[in-house]
Formats: sequence, structure tokens, C-alpha cells
Amino acid sequence: MREKATTIYLGPQHPGITGNMMVRLKVMGDTIVSAQTEVGYLHRAFEKLQERRNWLNSFTLMCRFCVPETDPMENLYARAVESLDNIEVPERAKYIRVMVLELARIATQLMWYAGQNGSLGLYTMGQWSIGDRDYILDLFEQLTGGRVYHMYQWPGGVRRDLPKGFKDKVLNTLDYLEKRLKDYDDLMFANSIFQKRTQGVGYVPKESIIEHGVVGPVLRGAGIRSDIRIDEPYEVYDKLDFEIPTQEGSDIWARALVRRAEVRQSIRIIRQVLDQMPKGEFNTKIPNPMKWRVRAGDTYVRAESGRGEVGYYAVSDGSIHPRRMHLRGAAYVHAITLLENILPGQNVADVSAIMNSLGTCAPEIER
Amino acid sequence: MKEIKDTMIAKIKAAFPEAVNKAYDGNRLDFTVHKDAIPGFLSHMKEQLGFRHLSHIAYVDWIEENEFEIVYILWSPEEKVKLFIHTRIDRENPVMENIDMIWRQANTYQREMKEMLGIEFPDMVAPDEFILEDWDDIPPFRRDFDTLEYVNRTFWHRPGREDAQDVRETITKRSGEEIPDFAKKYSR
Repeated sequence: MREKATTIYLGPQHPGITGNMMVRLKVMGDTIVSAQTEVGYLHRAFEKLQERRNWLNSFTLMCRFCVPETDPMENLYARAVESLDNIEVPERAKYIRVMVLELARIATQLMWYAGQNGSLGLYTMGQWSIGDRDYILDLFEQLTGGRVYHMYQWPGGVRRDLPKGFKDKVLNTLDYLEKRLKDYDDLMFANSIFQKRTQGVGYVPKESIIEHGVVGPVLRGAGIRSDIRIDEPYEVYDKLDFEIPTQEGSDIWARALVRRAEVRQSIRIIRQVLDQMPKGEFNTKIPNPMKWRVRAGDTYVRAESGRGEVGYYAVSDGSIHPRRMHLRGAAYVHAITLLENILPGQNVADVSAIMNSLGTCAPEIER
Repeated sequence: MKEIKDTMIAKIKAAFPEAVNKAYDGNRLDFTVHKDAIPGFLSHMKEQLGFRHLSHIAYVDWIEENEFEIVYILWSPEEKVKLFIHTRIDRENPVMENIDMIWRQANTYQREMKEMLGIEFPDMVAPDEFILEDWDDIPPFRRDFDTLEYVNRTFWHRPGREDAQDVRETITKRSGEEIPDFAKKYSR
């Protein structure tokens, strides 16, 4: 008897991604025949709301585009405004920003450890890594006052200088995390269940990479050495010594190995930053925010988030409100056309793991 | 970088004499192109000049000029140059060429522009709805869409919130019911 295709609605709540998003799957048995992404559960119209806000009010919305990774968005907004208005940022502020961005990258990857394992039913890893992520959130709380949303890297520099003793606290946390990575390897990468569920699964063909605008760990997991921090350095990344890890497999396993190596590189970067950070000002005074008219023009700035390239196209018409701020997120391309392209032929049980490995963050798509 | 950019500008001007270049510092190249020439221009940039990565497609509503602007931002991984390609379309009859055969990911950007600005892409194949559901107002990213007016018209205020007073106290005054002890500490 000929088997009929069945439609399954995966989501909008499911393990493996942040936020709510549905994938409509047509399956034959447990093999996917076609997939279609459905978004629309989280639209908050942040970009529209900016039409009514001034340049500093808008800043508080920026970090909220993607909950697990708020700092690259803040950094982009600050750099976009600085680029439009020709604001010089003190050297110390640039170093502090890189420290924050790399701490955020580690926190993001620790959250990814949890999501990637959780989507495969391996929950112990998540409890460990989310617990360890809290040590980084403790640092953020001391530095910025907020654990998840920081509103710290604002136009002109950063909102406040490092508290007394902060450097030692960061170094101690890094030492602890570095030791913990060995435990993570034993629990996750040496686990035969994790290996079998990820090797050869979620394969992204190399010929799809340009078509779908693939970025970040997904791109580097396909063997391509590309990273905005190297390709178009911002802040002080051009003064730091670090490597861009790559893998050849282009599957979940390869992307996992890339992320694993990136945590080590971030630790390496933060140690250098703390070592090289100059003394001096941490902020350039900006005009009265209520009356601040940013010079008319447009710009596009990019940053490398833990999930890949994020960018802002910013337009000012010379008024006190942004004319347009338009976000480009990694999930915007990965979680729609790329996901729909690679799911056919995969097992339905692997969908959540594939989505997580692509860095899917639904709120970033809808903005 | 200046030499690389000058060479690229010369090549682009040779292939598309009508494209208008604007000078910028750094690694930014900037051209304005007529909307009908966009698919050919983008395809040439991708295949001939190494701008393989479509980094972003942005859109702006210039209501004062009765036009929408679409900005394609490309990246050349070899030359490390960022190319901005601007084009304008009529706001009254917003129709634009589809480019998802050049980069498949453009399909998502175009679905967003169709929904948020009402721009039609005649050759594009995509589901009708993207982010919005059962939307029957004007496309919400047009500047003449008034968010506050829409919210006041569409949603109702929860009792007690009209005057920004404490909800529990307002309800207590209306109903005569006491606030439970455990909730009192949250009241102002």
C-alpha cells in the first residue's frame, strides 16, 4: 500500500530554540518530505516603535531583539550612531566593549550547550552549562546592573567604568570555566549518543552557503574561515591575537566542535583585553539626548555574534528620532530559507537539534 | 583600499554607465541604480566582481518624496569591500523586481517588504503571510501608519489602567472587596 504524507506542526513551543516558532512538516513515516517555517508569534514592532523615540530611548529596545545574545545588538546600535554622528570612542571603552562582547559570546555558547543537548534529550549538560552561565551573568550584574539586558554599550562608549576588583573576578571566572570545559567534553563530546545523533545530521551543502547567506559557526563548520572580527575588524579586534576555528563536516557535530573551540578563543581574547586595557576615559560625552539631532546619512555596521553575522542599517534624517534602524540577524536567513532547504530527508526527531545548531532565535526574525 | 575601490568603480561604471556613484571613506562603495536594472546589476556584482555575500536588504519609507527606498548591501570576501546599492520605487505603485533567483535568502527579505510596505514582487513564489496574521490595515511600516491610533482603536484598556493608578486599589474601590494580605505589599 502506498504511504501517504502526513502534516505535523512542530511548535511554536519546543526545545531547541529561543522564542516561539513553528515548522510545518510534511512527513512520510518519520522522514521529512518538505518543511515550511511559520513565524509571527513574537512580533513586537521594535523597529516601528523607534519612529516615536529619540536616539537614546531607542537604544533600550535594541538589546531585546534576541534574548540569549543581547550585547552584539547594543554594540551595533552604538557603533551605528557613532558612525553617523562621527563620535570618537575612547580606547578604554573599546577594550571594555570587547570584553563584554566576548563574555556574552561565552554565555551564548553555554546556553547553546544546554539547548543542543536538551533538544536531544540529554538534560544534565544543560543544567551544568546554564549554572556556569550564571557566573557570567553575575559579572554582568556587577558591571551593568542587569543580568540579561545590560544597556551598557551606549553611543560614545560604555555607561560606567569597571568596578573595583572586577578584573580579578573576571579572571577567576575564566579560570573556573576553562577547567569546566574538560567536564563538558567528557559529558557531551565523548558521549556516543551525542555523536550518533549529530554526525551526518543537519548537513548544509557547500553549494547552499552563498545562496542562503550562511554565516557564523554554520559557515565555519563547513570549512570556510570567515568571521567579521577578522574580515572587517571593529573595536580593537585587530589588536588581539586569536584564531578562527573551522571544521569540515558541515553537520551538527562540526558546528558543535566550532562552538566548543570558540569558547576557548573567547577566554583567550578576554585575558588579552584585560592585560592590554589602557587607563583613561570610558565615555565620550554625547549631546542632551532629548534634543540630540544625529547627522543625516545612512550606515551599515556588522558584528560577529555567537550565532554569526548581525548587522544594522541605520538612517538619520537629521531629526531627534531615528528614521530607520533595520536589523539583519543570523537567524533571519538560517531559520527560514536554509532550514526549509536542508530539512527534507531528515528524521523528524532531529528537527529541534538542527534548528538549535543553526542558531535559530525567533524574536530576531520578527523584531 | 582606495586602489581596490577605484578599480571596482571603473569596472562597474564600464558595465553600468547609468549607475550613480557616491564617494565614501573606508571600505564602503555606494551606487544608485534604476529599479529595472537591479537584477542585472546584482547578478553582475555577484558573478563578475566577487560580491558573493548578500549581507542585507534594507528598506526605508520616504513619504515626503512619495518613494520607497530599497538598499541592497553586498560583501566581497576577497577584497573586503562593502557595496551599497540604492534604488527607489514609486510609493503609489510599489512594484519591484524579484531577485531570489540570485540569492535564495532574498525571498525572506522580499516577503517582509511585501507585508510591511506593500511592495509587490510579481515573480516571487512565497506564502501570503509572513509575520502578520489576518492583517487588513495599511502595511504597518509605512510612515502614515499611526501605531498609537491603531492601538487605541484595536485594543481595550484593562480596568484600572486608564489613569495609571494601581490596579488593585482601583478594583477595590469599585467592587468594595478588600485586597488580600499577601497582595498588599505589592500595592503602592
